[in-house]
Amino acid sequence: MKKRVAIIAANGGLFDAYKVFNIATAAAATEAEVAIFFTFEGLNLIHKEAYKQLPLPEGKEQIQQGFAQANVPSIPELVSMAQEMGVKFIACQMTMDVMGLTKEHFVDGIDVGGAVTFLDFAKDADITLTF
Amino acid sequence: MKADLLVDAKGLACPMPIVRTKKGMDTLQSGQVLEIHVTDKGAKNDLSAWAKSAGHEMIDMVEEGAVLKFWIRKA
Repeated sequence: MKKRVAIIAANGGLFDAYKVFNIATAAAATEAEVAIFFTFEGLNLIHKEAYKQLPLPEGKEQIQQGFAQANVPSIPELVSMAQEMGVKFIACQMTMDVMGLTKEHFVDGIDVGGAVTFLDFAKDADITLTF
Repeated sequence: MKADLLVDAKGLACPMPIVRTKKGMDTLQSGQVLEIHVTDKGAKNDLSAWAKSAGHEMIDMVEEGAVLKFWIRKA
C-alpha cells in the first residue's frame, strides 16, 4: 500500500510555500499519496494572484536573489508540478467564507472542504506535517 | 556503465533532481538502468533515500568535479 502524507499549510509567506511544496512534491515523487489542507494564510499559497508574489519575512528581502541563483523553481511551477504528480489540494471552506473568497480565486483543480475532509484523509496517514 | 536512459538534472535545486529522476524512472521497465547527473549536493543522500524507499537498487555513484553521477536499477 502507498505511503500517505497529510500536510496542513497555515501560513502564507514565500518560505512557507517552499516548505510545503518541496516536501509535497518530493513525497509524491517517492510514490506517496499526498494531500495538503490550506487554511487561513495558507490559502495564499494557491491563490491565483497571491501565489505569484508571496512575501519574504521582513528584513530578509535580499534572499530573493539567493532563490534565483540557486535555480529554485518558482511557486507557480512547483504548484503545477505537484498537481501533475497527483498531490491533492483542499482549500478550507470556513476560511474562504471568512475572507470572502470563492473557488474561482484559486488555481484550477482544487477541492474545497472542511476540517473533517482533511481529518478523514489524515487518519490513515503515515506522515502528518504542519507548516 | 551502460544505462538505458540519462536524466540530466545539472543546475537544478531540490526537489527537481528527485522529480526528474522519478519521471525518468517511470518510462523504464523493471531491470533497466537509469543514469542521473546532478550538481545539487543534497541529491547525494536524497537519491539514495529515494531509491531505497522505492525499492530500486543504487548500483553506483561517482563524483566528477562538481557533477554527481548515479546509476539506479529499476525494481
